[in-house]
Amino acid sequence: MRTGIFFCQVQDNMNLNIDAIAKYSANLPDVETVQILRLKPLPTIDFICGQIRSNRLERIVLAGDMPGYFKPVFTKAAALTGANTDEIRLASFQEHGTKGENAMDRAKAIVACAVLGIPFPLAAVPGGNPVNHATLIIGGGIAGIQSALEIANAGKQVYLIEQTGTIGGHMAMFDKTFPTLDCAACILTPKMVSVGQHEMIRLLTRSNVVAVSGKPGAYRVKIRQKARFVDVKSCVACNICAEVCPVKVKSEFDAGISLRKAIYIPFPQAVPNAYLVDETSCTYILSEGQKCGACMKKCPKECINLNEKDKIIDIEVGNIILATGYEFLDVGKIEQYGYGVYPNVLTSIEFERLTNASGTTGGRIVTKTKVTDKKTGKEQWIFSPEGMPPKSVALIHCVGSRNKKYNPYCSRVCCMYSLKFAHLLKEKVPNVNVYEFYIDMRAFGKGYEEFAERIKQEGTFVVRGHSASVAMKNGQMVVRGEDIFNDRLVEFDVDMVVLAVGLIPSQGTEEISRLLGVQRDSDGWFSELDYNGSPTDTDKGGIYVAGMCQAPKDIPDTVAQASAVAAGVLRSLTSGKGIGHMSSLSLSEIESRAKKIHTI
Amino acid sequence: MAIRVNPTFIDDLNRYGAEDVQLCYQCGDCSTVCPHADDMYIFPRKSMRFLQMGLEQKIETTLEPWLCYYCGQCSIQCPREADPGETMMSLRRWLISKYDFTGIARKFFKSRLTEVLTIITVAVITAVFLLFYGFSGGNLTIYDGKGAFLPSTFIHRFDLTIGGVLLIFLLTNAIHMWYLVMIKGTDFPVPWWIYIKQLYQLPWHFFTQKRYSECEKKQEHPVFMPWLIHLGLMFGYVTMLVLVMVFIEQLQAGPEIRWQVHIFGYLATIGLLTGTFYFIRNRIRKNYVQYKKSHGTDWVFVILLFYIVLTGILQHVFHRTGLNVAANITYVIHLMGVVPWLLRMPFSKWSHLIYRPLAMYFAEIRREAAARQASIIQTVPVLIK
Repeated sequence: MRTGIFFCQVQDNMNLNIDAIAKYSANLPDVETVQILRLKPLPTIDFICGQIRSNRLERIVLAGDMPGYFKPVFTKAAALTGANTDEIRLASFQEHGTKGENAMDRAKAIVACAVLGIPFPLAAVPGGNPVNHATLIIGGGIAGIQSALEIANAGKQVYLIEQTGTIGGHMAMFDKTFPTLDCAACILTPKMVSVGQHEMIRLLTRSNVVAVSGKPGAYRVKIRQKARFVDVKSCVACNICAEVCPVKVKSEFDAGISLRKAIYIPFPQAVPNAYLVDETSCTYILSEGQKCGACMKKCPKECINLNEKDKIIDIEVGNIILATGYEFLDVGKIEQYGYGVYPNVLTSIEFERLTNASGTTGGRIVTKTKVTDKKTGKEQWIFSPEGMPPKSVALIHCVGSRNKKYNPYCSRVCCMYSLKFAHLLKEKVPNVNVYEFYIDMRAFGKGYEEFAERIKQEGTFVVRGHSASVAMKNGQMVVRGEDIFNDRLVEFDVDMVVLAVGLIPSQGTEEISRLLGVQRDSDGWFSELDYNGSPTDTDKGGIYVAGMCQAPKDIPDTVAQASAVAAGVLRSLTSGKGIGHMSSLSLSEIESRAKKIHTI
Repeated sequence: MAIRVNPTFIDDLNRYGAEDVQLCYQCGDCSTVCPHADDMYIFPRKSMRFLQMGLEQKIETTLEPWLCYYCGQCSIQCPREADPGETMMSLRRWLISKYDFTGIARKFFKSRLTEVLTIITVAVITAVFLLFYGFSGGNLTIYDGKGAFLPSTFIHRFDLTIGGVLLIFLLTNAIHMWYLVMIKGTDFPVPWWIYIKQLYQLPWHFFTQKRYSECEKKQEHPVFMPWLIHLGLMFGYVTMLVLVMVFIEQLQAGPEIRWQVHIFGYLATIGLLTGTFYFIRNRIRKNYVQYKKSHGTDWVFVILLFYIVLTGILQHVFHRTGLNVAANITYVIHLMGVVPWLLRMPFSKWSHLIYRPLAMYFAEIRREAAARQASIIQTVPVLIK
């Protein structure tokens, strides 16, 4: 087939030398002409028709970062000249992951496949290494739990490791899920329990990956399991130890709005359902056995051992799933909202815990009350169940998101959870005024737009316009904003402000990307191989991404991606072809494979 | 009234300094933090929107750019780094060129080369003219009195001529501004008595620049610094202008110092010198948001003023110490700066001296007229059949 190659580059790509690729592709069989086009001026139809006629082209290959942009012009030209419009092939560099060291080879291979008329993923199949049937899942949130259950239910061994004392992740902290307003715990806790009881899942809490070696299909992973100081099997969660423990620290599970003891259970439905000791605050551990130790003496089951040491566990796995999740941006550094200055300015996760029935106020939405510490005489603002309910609440969207100074990206869930908060406020606090300050309402999912409409009808004041200032005037919090649709500036007296804080990759993401050699994008999230085509794979063979650690996404998307990952893992286990690194595939390998397929 | 959209307006404004308007996504953060935005005049977001939509006809009738004193809070807060503060500054430049019916201001703002070349040409013509006049009747060694190189009566007449030209341009431009703002841009009736009632706004804003000081409350500047220095600069400038236009003959007499006139000259010089020095330093250091981007005309403005002040001081010193030849030469050099400066006034940033107080005046008139209109509409019941 007489082929013409057109390089259509919208903007310069630092990784690629287009001239070198053009030189390479000119030597490919049947290539009649190679042209390098620019965006400005756009290639005219006359020029393209002339090229097709003079070279009598039968196949046109458009190569570039986004060649689809140029396709309509070429289709028109091909139709005008009578050439076959089906033979316009796209060689998209961006779509097939031309980044990193071997970007040039990859780009050449993409062009070579397009010239032969073979889809690139068909020719570029890494393989070879036999696969160990065990799978490691890093992160015990909803994504990790879902993947673990899918794989384990298929009868394969799973190691699920989790950094904290319980699985469940952020979803366990939530009250309701949008847009259905289902109880989050009702969906999550049965899954958690089945993870805890599954014979094919080995759950390692308080664990971190410290070293990874080996190749795809046979990774050797070294895991450090921090001492729990409580025997999981014999602990019955009777709470006697926590009653005697003298140390009080902020509860991570309650997002810091309530206190817990140094020996604690994160929440009553925790899996494994056993207490654990926080080694950073326990008096006995900090004093190296000199002081306290009250819980050890009181425990009726004698399952507390404060002298326990960390363990190193070596495992061998074939596939690794990354489900490390996310964190919230530190809002303290965005000064204009007064977080940390005014007591009743809350982050979204704090509000989530406040409104949760298992939270510190039992689900009553109240403003903070001032209490004086009897011993130190310090004044503190805390949530107490007897607190006053707020008369009006402002919900501010896009705090730190879509902002070039903090997160340039959209955190994707904030609009919806803020709307959910508005509903919960209207439901739980009678006669409350709720003001939503938003920039753009991103209600993108199934039923989300309807949910947004419903919230508006419930009487929430939805103000199109961001607020950039929370101030205190005569002891009253005032939120100022521009109401763009009504063309006025507004100032509302509010008792509580909830900030829809942007999301960032969790702390350990960088460390794990270094250990496993998985690339991260400019915002710090894990890079998938191809955003459209293979959103769960990475360029390392046998390593997958699921959930928030790839990019912000809501619970349905996370669960869907987690299940998709399980499909990828099970495919590699059952296909018998083995797995290899996509990035280690050489140009000649892809070329020879493409030729082989071409001759069939 | 139908409004025509100018799709290239935003590109056009690029030359005036607004580069990032297209980045704005209309969140309203800038209007929220602006200390001057109120219900009647919401900016900068609205101006950004008009710009993005290419509503040139709408913007030429607005007052918002003049109500902004560029404290830079909006640019600090902007999540898109679209720089609304600089956009308002660019709009002021654009409005100056819009009010100017000759089109000279537009040329100056768009091309720094044109501006510099024009200044140099005018300076050279001035020098040739003054030297010709001086040598034809005077003596280089005499500064004042009979046979002087540049006699004060001649300079007085020369000043008044230039002042007259200046005044004509400024007045016509001000009338143009009034037409655009109050006739074309105001779609409700404005009774004449509001014009008189609000007349006090003009001197009030001219002499206090109160709004500029309000701008600084949120700033991390040393207390009221730019406002105080700007006020000093303005007072120095106006005093100097009055001295030169009216009292030039007393000023030029000498060599002894006449304190009853000269004390004003010294005070004005201090104001001018600190002002120009402060603003040049800030523009070089780029220490605050508002000085990060300097348009070509901004540099010409401060540097030319600095030059005039410096040569003026030199000339004064030479004259008082009896070095008449040096004094005469520096006088010519001084006037080489003054004449282009004065002639450039209506076409440059300088003209904000008159547009700003006018804008405050118009803004208050509009506000009162709008409130009156609203009350009329409320009290008169509308019958619906």
